[in-house]
Amino acid sequence: MSSGNKHPYPLLITIGAIVGLSVVSALKPAVNIGGYELRPLDVYADLRTPGPVSIPDTVLLAAADTAQGADSLKKNPLPARDFLTYSGILDYGYTTGPQGAGMHHFMEALRQLRTGSRKKVRIAYFGDSMIEGDLITQDLRDSLQSFFGGEGVGFVPATSVVSGFRTTITHSFSPNWTDYHFKNSPPAGVELGISGHAFVPSPESWVRFQPVRHKRLDEFGEVSLLFGKGAGQVRINDRPATLEGIGKLNAYSFHADSSTRSLTFKFSGDRPLPLYGVCFESREGIFLDNYSFRGISGIELGKLSSDMLKQVQTVRPYDLIVLHYGANVLFKPENTRFDWYERPMEKVVDSLRKHFPQSSFLIVGTADKSYRKDGRYVTAPGVKALLKVQHQFAEEKGLAYWNLYSAMGGDGAMARWVEGEQALANKDYTHFNFRGASKVGALLYKAIMDEYQHDAM
Amino acid sequence: MSFENLLSLLVYNKESPILFNSGFFLFFFAVFLLCYQVVRNSERGRVAVFCFFSLYFFYLACGYYVGLVILSAIVDFYLSNRIYRETNEKLRKGLLWFSVLINIGMLFYFKYTNFFINAINDISGGNIHPLHILLPIGISFYTFENLSYTVDVYRREIKPVDKFMDYLFFLSFFPKLMMGPIVRAADFIPQIRKPYVLSQEDVGKGMFLIINGLFKKVIVSDFIYQHFVQYIFDDPTRHTGIECLLGVYGYALVIYCDFSGYSDMAIGIARWTGFVIPPNFDKPYQSSSITEFWRRWHISLSSWLRDYIYIPLGGNRKGKFRQYVNLLLTMLIGGFWHGASWNFIFWGGVHGGSLAVDKLWIQWQKGLSWLKAGPVRAGLWKIGGILFTFHLVCFCWVFFKMETFEGAWALLHQVAGNFQGHLAGEVIAAYPQVFMLMGLGYVLHFLPANWDSKLVNGFTKLHWAGAAVVMMLFIWVLNEMKTLEPMIPIYFQF
Repeated sequence: MSSGNKHPYPLLITIGAIVGLSVVSALKPAVNIGGYELRPLDVYADLRTPGPVSIPDTVLLAAADTAQGADSLKKNPLPARDFLTYSGILDYGYTTGPQGAGMHHFMEALRQLRTGSRKKVRIAYFGDSMIEGDLITQDLRDSLQSFFGGEGVGFVPATSVVSGFRTTITHSFSPNWTDYHFKNSPPAGVELGISGHAFVPSPESWVRFQPVRHKRLDEFGEVSLLFGKGAGQVRINDRPATLEGIGKLNAYSFHADSSTRSLTFKFSGDRPLPLYGVCFESREGIFLDNYSFRGISGIELGKLSSDMLKQVQTVRPYDLIVLHYGANVLFKPENTRFDWYERPMEKVVDSLRKHFPQSSFLIVGTADKSYRKDGRYVTAPGVKALLKVQHQFAEEKGLAYWNLYSAMGGDGAMARWVEGEQALANKDYTHFNFRGASKVGALLYKAIMDEYQHDAM
Repeated sequence: MSFENLLSLLVYNKESPILFNSGFFLFFFAVFLLCYQVVRNSERGRVAVFCFFSLYFFYLACGYYVGLVILSAIVDFYLSNRIYRETNEKLRKGLLWFSVLINIGMLFYFKYTNFFINAINDISGGNIHPLHILLPIGISFYTFENLSYTVDVYRREIKPVDKFMDYLFFLSFFPKLMMGPIVRAADFIPQIRKPYVLSQEDVGKGMFLIINGLFKKVIVSDFIYQHFVQYIFDDPTRHTGIECLLGVYGYALVIYCDFSGYSDMAIGIARWTGFVIPPNFDKPYQSSSITEFWRRWHISLSSWLRDYIYIPLGGNRKGKFRQYVNLLLTMLIGGFWHGASWNFIFWGGVHGGSLAVDKLWIQWQKGLSWLKAGPVRAGLWKIGGILFTFHLVCFCWVFFKMETFEGAWALLHQVAGNFQGHLAGEVIAAYPQVFMLMGLGYVLHFLPANWDSKLVNGFTKLHWAGAAVVMMLFIWVLNEMKTLEPMIPIYFQF
């Protein structure tokens, strides 16, 4: 070690490091440490204009249906109805004739509701964590009810991990429920409901609901307790009732008078009786049930038995079934192959269509999802590829399709929603926050109403 | 090789302000060091080069707000000299208050206008529109430096500088301009006069601080934050209590590594240019009491608050009760300094209250020496104290990090009411790199200090070429970490 003034050292070390990094950037050596491949280094990356993120051509080919890649999309002679860019509802029900299950039935039902020749229209909205806590659906329901009439929050599961987060009903429950669901294995005799859950009470298990201070949600009207096969005792606000379930799905319905500020269901739990949830509606109007199950791709709906679906059609018929999935299909942002998803999801759609032959079906194409590439958040290549798959279901099966990605603003929308002055989505670049969900609800309402008005002409 | 973006990098860009860990800084630093070498034998030359690069750095960080630094340097340079020359005590005091008013007024305008507009709206139900004011980067730091300088001159503890450029140099010194440490003129200005001489130890120590700072900031803090902590704080109600708790432990490391890492880089860069700035953090989570924590956390701020707020308020000289009030007031102001929101005020209040309680506790313990008799009991007390202090600090971080009270309570509610501790293994297994780094971060934090000095010794012995290779390899690793694909948040409850 030499002594003396080392003042040139910092400069030499810095220049030396820059030279070394320049050499590595230029030579791009393949460095493999214990099977882990280092990514290429470019010390001058900052000095260049960041170009568009390069996505392998194969991805765009897979997404675009044409051999010329992405550019051809813009030159499409029918740009208004390009499934990747159109932000209204594409209804394939018309093109497939009477076998189709597009928006026609639902629109007809809405018109009948409007003219008074029908009392109720019901929507089942299936989705993943994007809609849990009644996100998106609360805004859509509110807008629909404000136009078509109806009060009440619809279906509420017996217990929920996000009950504290849901603002459309105050919901509490005892900790001694057993929750069987898609992700664990229910024992024989316990049939999952269409929410993907079945709740089995222990002795003295209870669940309590209170209305919230919000127009159309501030009092209870028609209340239905949904339960499975078996028998049991329940005390509803200390008034005893006997539940006798013959079918796989049964409803115990009653009318709560407007002074009821809270409803407590206390179960004897002495015999195993699967419970599903409680529905809140009024005598007339439009009602929307939120069926959220976090972390699923939609193919899990295939686990629902035919008998259960049949029973739903009799006990709680739906005029529109919305399938809103995608976030959990895109868990690897650069993956663009969805074979594992395509076929099982096709089966799900077929089975739902078979059991709800009268219902309209709306496929909500995935929301935009960004991931970090070269230091910037950009739309994951998988988004367009998945939209193509989802669109294909709709087109082939004669369903309606709504492209949420495009409605959000298309390429890079999620990054803008997260990074905007008023954030609309979370830092995972996947989930909407309250504000963003509200906006999505409004966008979907507008798309539905556009169809309604168009249909009326 | 084309450099189309080079020109646009040389001007301020709101989207990507310069940071020590941005790629462009490496080139900025090399050019600066080259110019600094050229003028190294001339004191005026060094001052001129440093001022130029500091102001340019500041311009790259926050655009034309650089004018504020120059303006406040002019005002305080002039006022401090007037105060020093003035013999009329009343006038001296008047000038001091005038300077305080200007500095605090500027800070208030930029940092707190909208806070007060919102507060007035909330109280009166009014509807005054918040102004569109961007906070000039570093203003909180250089305002405090201006204040302490003028107060020191008023107290006749230091003689004001007679060359304006020297004062501008002190105020704008780019290593510490944006995120501190808060430097005192009395320590700094005499170093301007010294020739630029670096010992082998200065080089090794500076290198250690720069690499250690980058490691803490980019590898530990940014990684844990981006891949785990931000998901939790974004929406705690979607996560179980155990995830929230681990998120808070993660955040405690994130804020420490981010802040102290940036300070380390600043001190290391200063060291390489011939300036010694005292350490700003001293492994704060090793503290076994909250009083000790504030001696180890953001030392330049806590000593500033002590010297210019707590002591002028009367410190401990006006009786016990006043001491507790003074502690509380000082920390409330300290909290508000961190940011214009009730959450920061609450954060400061809890710290101030805890400091007061700690003073009482120390008194009470004096009569109970048997509690700590023997090495085992003393050790247990110490460990208990460390755990308690850490969790108290973590509790406060929840309010520091969350934008709203509701958010903070929601997170605490998840920890208290929906803990789901049995999921701990699954959570850790779902984010393996995050928890490995978190573990490493805390282990390094609790290592004895002589481990650091061994590393410093190692760097000190390196030839410059060896040091360049180490630096290069380290930056290569940083690049690898920065470009990792983000981990996707995972659910554990359905």
